[in-house]
Amino acid sequence: MMSAQLKDVIIKPDAPSSLLLDKHADYIAAYGSKKDDYEYTLSEYLRMSGVYWGLTVMDLMDQLQRMNRQEIIDFIKACQHECGGISASIGHDPHLLYTLSAVQILCLYDSLDAIDVDKVVEYVKGLQQDDGSFAGDKWGEIDTRFSFCAVATLALLGKMDTINVDKAVEFVLSCMNFDGGFGCRPGSESHAGQIYCCTGFLSLTGQLHQLNADLLGWWLCERQLPSGGLNGRPEKLPDVCYSWWVLASLKIIGRIHWIDKAKLQRFILACQDEETGGFADRPGDMVDPFHTLFGVAGLSLLGDEAIKPVNPVLCMPEDVLQRVGLQPDLLS
Amino acid sequence: MHGRVKVKTTAQQEEEKKKEREKKLKVYVAARDACFSKRKDGVLDDEALQLTQQLLSANPDFATLWNYRREILTHLETVKDEDEAQKIYEAELSFLESCLKVNPKSYGSWHHRGWVSARLPRPDWARELSLCDRCLSLDDRNFHCWDYRRMVVKMSGVPVKQELEFTDRLIGSNFSNYSSWHYRSTLLPLLHPGSPEPPPSRCGGDPPHSCSPPSPQAHFHRVCEEQLLKEYELVQNAFFTDPNDQSAWFYYRWLLGRAEREEVISCAYVSREQERVAVAFSRPVNAQSGGLLLVLDGQPQRAEWRSVHPHFKHSPVWICDLPPGTISDVANEHNLTVHWTEKHTHRDCALYTGRSESWCRDTATDLELFRSELSVEKTSVLQSELQSVNQLQELEPLNKWCLLTIILLMRALDPLGYEKETLAHFQTLKEVDSVRSAYYSDLCSKFMIENTILKMEYAEVRVFSISDRNLTTLCHLDQLLLVTHINLSSNQLRRLPPQFAMLQCLEVVEADNNSIENLEGVYHLPKLEEVSLKNNKISTLADLQPLASCPKLRRLDLRGNPVTQTANVESELAELLPSVADLLL
Ligand SMILES: [Zn+2]
Repeated sequence: MMSAQLKDVIIKPDAPSSLLLDKHADYIAAYGSKKDDYEYTLSEYLRMSGVYWGLTVMDLMDQLQRMNRQEIIDFIKACQHECGGISASIGHDPHLLYTLSAVQILCLYDSLDAIDVDKVVEYVKGLQQDDGSFAGDKWGEIDTRFSFCAVATLALLGKMDTINVDKAVEFVLSCMNFDGGFGCRPGSESHAGQIYCCTGFLSLTGQLHQLNADLLGWWLCERQLPSGGLNGRPEKLPDVCYSWWVLASLKIIGRIHWIDKAKLQRFILACQDEETGGFADRPGDMVDPFHTLFGVAGLSLLGDEAIKPVNPVLCMPEDVLQRVGLQPDLLS
Repeated sequence: MHGRVKVKTTAQQEEEKKKEREKKLKVYVAARDACFSKRKDGVLDDEALQLTQQLLSANPDFATLWNYRREILTHLETVKDEDEAQKIYEAELSFLESCLKVNPKSYGSWHHRGWVSARLPRPDWARELSLCDRCLSLDDRNFHCWDYRRMVVKMSGVPVKQELEFTDRLIGSNFSNYSSWHYRSTLLPLLHPGSPEPPPSRCGGDPPHSCSPPSPQAHFHRVCEEQLLKEYELVQNAFFTDPNDQSAWFYYRWLLGRAEREEVISCAYVSREQERVAVAFSRPVNAQSGGLLLVLDGQPQRAEWRSVHPHFKHSPVWICDLPPGTISDVANEHNLTVHWTEKHTHRDCALYTGRSESWCRDTATDLELFRSELSVEKTSVLQSELQSVNQLQELEPLNKWCLLTIILLMRALDPLGYEKETLAHFQTLKEVDSVRSAYYSDLCSKFMIENTILKMEYAEVRVFSISDRNLTTLCHLDQLLLVTHINLSSNQLRRLPPQFAMLQCLEVVEADNNSIENLEGVYHLPKLEEVSLKNNKISTLADLQPLASCPKLRRLDLRGNPVTQTANVESELAELLPSVADLLL
């Protein structure tokens, strides 16, 4: 009989313990200039999200002006397809994931008029299925992540009323599990990333009261390990990105105080790379823009005043959402 | 991007790596560009299949290439006969198997496999199921594979019983398997539905085994008692074997608390003086979206329902004002009915001559009030469960899962009788699992509030008093609609939250000696006269703003709050709260 071994990491005493904002800004600013790098090229299939991660973290650090605004806006324009959807990069196919990322970037830059917004709305609307769910693209993969992408895109565009919201809610609720969490599809196991998408979805659709917040909050706060980091499912290793998804979900359901903030802060800070800047998934691993955003955003939710306040539902700076006029619900 | 350890390298190693990467880049970019240009030209041939295969083997997340392959395959399907198509798709499945071996967690590969399997002229679902078996034997937590398995099961009509036996096997070989416990939670109610409600016919004509599982939070998601006893035994085996394995404990908590409260109007209240009706529901609703009908003396009223606080679009308590003069004459008797039409339920309330107010509600008992958290199983069963877990606790006195479960069982059995033990266990819990002490404090607060409500119900009074109990949060305020006096003194509260506005009959609030800094919920309370907030943390006049919405407030005690140090506090407050005659600073 095997027994459960506690999976966790040990934070070394010499791990970084203060926030290295300048290094992170330099890391992100330099990242986009490695365009002929092999690893960079391999990640082309998610470029639009990569740009969103980089720009959002720069904006949270108040360094957005260091990025090449016009080049990025032109890139997004070139990625919008005839159907209205937006692709990760030129030559790639449109998808809800990258459509949301593109809309988020254009909100950061206050430049939604750069794309054909009506067509984006048509594209999103066209992906809703009879059961209320959303396909990620025309090939029909169904996932609660795509339900979130759809309503987040429409909320940012102020066009939520173009889809069948009741049906969309019904589908997401059909993915709720015995532990109060959510998975990809009805019957799928709970997972912090999906929980973030579904609580965010219910926030944007004004349906947070449908959650069993006490039960879900318990599952979420049990993600905190002795190292202070949070994992995404029981018996998994802690990770900076899961720390964000769990933390943001707890914030949305009004229970962020159920974890030990100081310990989490120490874990996130230990995931910084002092040499290169940036955050890794765990202390001592390779950094990337994805974990850099979620590290910085997590610290913002924990109240770090060197960083702009971040919105837990959309992972964007609060001042940007104020400009857009969007204030998603949070449970109190 | 996950789990890549940073390794220190020398300059020479770095240089070699760089050269190697440059070489790889060239090959990759050439293949990618060839793919893109072929696709642009509408070419759907074998060479394109080979090129995409080469790229996807290295990078299965390149979603567009899977799309291209699907375009090619659907085209080939139209030009080949069935046997050839079968062969092409089978080749695709072998290619996918090799991709999944290298990267078993790629969304793109799994989705493509599902797509191919569904298009195969002669699908072999047994093979797919055994692929899942093999994959799960390598990693029994791979949720992509679990999801694919569920699809295969659905497509091929694998009996639920067979899948439940599969989880028996997995759990038998390793109790610490959250994915298997989760799967059980979706299968059990399908196979052993609890009476009285059978699973609803939401699946149309499909046989039950191909149903998508209903939400476990839903009303009908029950398991019959006989099976439940077997499950208790299975879980006990698990947590006696490894008391620190959280999977079994999560599952056990679910088994303990499946009952849902009925959807009803739990209370209707009418006040002659305010000419107002207040209604409490068993769950948050949006009364403005219709479905609620108010009938007064046989006449349907055009009622405008409002939630008690602008913060809530959905709320368990709603109020509406009747037209002036409708019920104000004490010489008249009135009969009121509130219909919740979509739930086919209603509540009557009679306002007799000479009476200033009236209400109608269920006589609340412990079972009805807090059933949503507790089981309605037989006491004898729960009693023996408690004995077993107590035995385990003797062996593992500091096991948090065990302590929490004991608390839950005690609450299911006799919440008031076990109050002292419950509090002691909470104290230990906060010490052994200090990271989550705020969670335990809030949960303990919730249970103490439930106990106080029960005591209040038994005493048939409208006074809710819970002082010196270390309360960190307030909840169940919808149950306090009729309360006139509340005493929350000497706790650790930081706010009177928006939900506090549900206490529509409140006349007196005592909340001394807390850490209250926010009074958002003391909002439009029509009968509120006295508020005592001695020794709290109210620091600005703006924090007191909500009180200005309570028209009858005449006594306010703010002694021991930072706000009393504000310049001109007395005159400022006189302006802000003109009705207050008795101000203590
Ligand atoms: Zn991660």
